[in-house]
Amino acid sequence: MFSRVARRKFYNTVFVGFCVLATVVAIGALTLILWSLLHKGLAGVDANLFLADTKSSCQGDSSCAPGGLRNAFIGSAMMLAIAMFIALAVGILAGTWLSEFGGETPYGHAIRFLNDVLLSAPSILIGVAVWELLVVPFHGYSAMAGAVALAFLAAPVVTRTTEDILAMQSSALREAGSALGTPQWIVVRKIVWKAAGGGLLTGGLLAFARISGETAPLLFTSLGNNLFSLDPFAPIASLPKVIYDNALSPYDDLVQIAWAGALVIAVVVLAINILGRILAREPKRS
Amino acid sequence: MTDIAPETYESFMTEPPADSVMLRTRALDFFYGKFQALHGVNLPVAKNAVTALIGPSGCGKSTLLRALNRIYSLYPGQRAAGEILLDGEDVLNSKVDLANLRSRVGMVFQKPTPFPMSIYDNVAFGVRLYEGLPKNKMHERVENALRKAALWDEVKDKLHTSGLGLSGGQQQRLCVARGIAVEPEVLLLDEPASALDPISTAKLEDTIIELKRDYTIVIVTHNLQQAARVADHTGFMFLGRMIEFGPTQDLFINPKAKRTADYVGGRFG
Repeated sequence: MFSRVARRKFYNTVFVGFCVLATVVAIGALTLILWSLLHKGLAGVDANLFLADTKSSCQGDSSCAPGGLRNAFIGSAMMLAIAMFIALAVGILAGTWLSEFGGETPYGHAIRFLNDVLLSAPSILIGVAVWELLVVPFHGYSAMAGAVALAFLAAPVVTRTTEDILAMQSSALREAGSALGTPQWIVVRKIVWKAAGGGLLTGGLLAFARISGETAPLLFTSLGNNLFSLDPFAPIASLPKVIYDNALSPYDDLVQIAWAGALVIAVVVLAINILGRILAREPKRS
Repeated sequence: MTDIAPETYESFMTEPPADSVMLRTRALDFFYGKFQALHGVNLPVAKNAVTALIGPSGCGKSTLLRALNRIYSLYPGQRAAGEILLDGEDVLNSKVDLANLRSRVGMVFQKPTPFPMSIYDNVAFGVRLYEGLPKNKMHERVENALRKAALWDEVKDKLHTSGLGLSGGQQQRLCVARGIAVEPEVLLLDEPASALDPISTAKLEDTIIELKRDYTIVIVTHNLQQAARVADHTGFMFLGRMIEFGPTQDLFINPKAKRTADYVGGRFG
């Protein structure tokens, strides 16, 4: 028989072993994804990708200028910017209200529940809802409708993380603010938000990561556009949609562009996450 | 904890001269929801003196302190009944402007709570709420507050670095400086030294004794020696009641209530 100590050591090793195994599986999957993205996408990344607009395949026609993704980059950037602007404004205010003001009222509980429902709503349904809300009444697909659909997906994430992060701030900090005679809205704005800054930023980044690759809600809203457009009230191209279309096409050159686009999205999301981490770093002790 | 019928409590009160009392509670009851934490507490607080509240954990001393600036109003379900008179005006009156009350009755908490901003901005924060001081006046105010809190020499070269970078003891004195920068009449200290090391504690106690020239101070402490060192008057509380109140010397050397004698003699607590 093992002694107690030996047995405890054994269980410890087993437990740590499982933890390591799980980590290896997770990181392994991520590495494989990144590797195949790099492997298959890198060949398609050139200046043309950022300078030319999307077009149909050049397969078998050597005189044809190859297409790029410029209009899709611009379209995605525009819709993401508008969507994040709406989602941050609505989400941070709603999360703050839930955490600091009305979260414990019956109305607050109802809002929190509905937010959680929205958080897990299938994105295709959000697309259909916005189609009914903005596309049908205004007789046309538009970048604005796409942005609103994305905002519907991002706002619940921001609301949730904002509430959680603010609830983590110590009540002593709020009391200290109030003890100086500070009105509550100034305590929230100048003290609590500031103390929670890094966390709020992380919430925003999570939401951004969540929506940057969404295709489904854009199918019914921004549609797609092979031409370069900056008009928020006209149909517009978007990266995920173009990747989806191209990847399904039978033409090698389009598939290549899809891989390159996927690589760019992954790199951008990664870069924004790293940037956020750096910005959100705790102030160093002097 | 066994509850003892109220009639077995006798309150031994040796009040300071009536004309020196600037803040007092009369028959103060306090409730956390349905739980009654204070039972008819009377507390006289003399001007420009240090009043200490002592007693075992859960006796209601912090609750009493938190009633004095109505900081409890942040939490629905907490309420006070009775009277709290600040210069003759009832603080519990619903018409009282809380921001104004708290600018007159400042508070420092058990754990240091520097705001996430620079040392200078921490001290200037409260002042900016009430007064639009020109830059040089504000500078003066901040320096004075930091000097009074005995922190100036340690931070004068790094006023614009984060207050979170200071040590625990420095952070607590920063909170004191922040509290006095708005020039309150009364300063409430809720176990201000309990998270500090002995050297920081000694500095803070010196600060408290310095401060009573300009301010009226009420301090809650677990540390009997601390009460003996800094306080002019001391109140001993037990199970939400004021058991004995009097000059600190009398309370420690010649207590009138048996419970006080037991507590300060270290026989329970």
